[in-house]
Amino acid sequence: MQCAETLRVQAYFDGEVDAVSALEVERHAEHCAECRSLLEHLADMRARMRRELEFPSAPPQLRASLDRVLDEETRTATRELTARAPPRWRAPPRWLTALGGAGAALAATLALFLVAPWGANPVLDALVSAHVRSLMPQHLTDVVSTDRHTVKPWFAGHADVSPVVTDFADQGYRLLGGRADYFDHQRVAAVVYQHGPHLINVFAWVGAGPSLPQYTTRSGYHIACWKLGNLQYCAISDTGWDELQGLTRLLRAAGAEDMPH
Amino acid sequence: MLPHLDAAYRFARWLCRSSSDADDIVQEAFLRAFRAFDSLRGGDVKAWLLTIVRNCHATAMQQQQRRATVPLPEDHEAQLRSAGADASPDPASLSVAEEERRTLGRLIAALPQEHREVLMLREMEDMSYREIATIAQVPIGTVMSRLARARAALRGHWLKETGGVPRAVR
Repeated sequence: MQCAETLRVQAYFDGEVDAVSALEVERHAEHCAECRSLLEHLADMRARMRRELEFPSAPPQLRASLDRVLDEETRTATRELTARAPPRWRAPPRWLTALGGAGAALAATLALFLVAPWGANPVLDALVSAHVRSLMPQHLTDVVSTDRHTVKPWFAGHADVSPVVTDFADQGYRLLGGRADYFDHQRVAAVVYQHGPHLINVFAWVGAGPSLPQYTTRSGYHIACWKLGNLQYCAISDTGWDELQGLTRLLRAAGAEDMPH
Repeated sequence: MLPHLDAAYRFARWLCRSSSDADDIVQEAFLRAFRAFDSLRGGDVKAWLLTIVRNCHATAMQQQQRRATVPLPEDHEAQLRSAGADASPDPASLSVAEEERRTLGRLIAALPQEHREVLMLREMEDMSYREIATIAQVPIGTVMSRLARARAALRGHWLKETGGVPRAVR
């Protein structure tokens, strides 16, 4: 005879129930020996699996061959795009428009990609490297503060720029702090935000170099770039587009307020 | 820099049981993901990527079955037995922990794929029911029931092997 609560007990164990249901399950398990033993067993099996099963990493030769294949793919894509003249992105094919909203979104991204074949942009590569480097332990922030009045002046002494710094905790983007970074032959300010489990680095530097795409994706990281005054801003994260754009909108609005009228 | 490569590789390993097949599937999956990346709007990259891994595996399975003259055995009990026979070196030379580790891996490998994948995504990759539903392309309710069945089956096999009932003589 199986207790009717079995599935709910399992969902409770997996952290998939709300607080009220959790309380109910806990109360139920106090009286139901079957569910108590199920909980014990679930915990035991999980611990055993995590302890005893292998967590294999991708073998180095797979990593290397993937790098090769994807590099080749990038080159082909870039060649195809640059060979296409004039760009025909203005009129997306009918089957794309027929898809409606999803199609339009896809067409928009395609258009973005077609009009800007950023095949080899060293600044974007440097951005990704700087972002990845920042995720290593102890590299994230040099000045830890959720107070913009601490972070912003700190940059004056450590980076060549004084970027927009605002805590958007109320909107879901918590200011963690700042860091001075170096790439593209200059010192760069990095402001770090946390959104849910994701970290977002917002880099700012005096932008005199080649223009950057407004939105792009590198090595799986979304990158949004914009200019404000003489500063080039780039936000990068492994979070989704919507979340990243949420922060860039806030930062641009805050920056526009800061600008002299 | 390839995000979630290790997770994709682990998942592929548990899907296809052989490491060289896993290499091919992961490579194919990353290529597809790379080509389709611009169509990914928001959402969770890891779940999206594992979905592609799973699709690549399914495609590879179909091709393999089409090529094979003899269909692959679907009898999991038979796989259990033969896997057991393959993976049982001299018991005296193995520590208890090592033997349990092998037993556990073998029992999981012998579960049907639809059970194995939800179990591994939940226990090893710590993914939510919703993410698992996305990857396995089934409703959340199905994830819950499959997970329950996978756990019950594993529990049953495990008890049988390790002493819930007297150990079978090999």
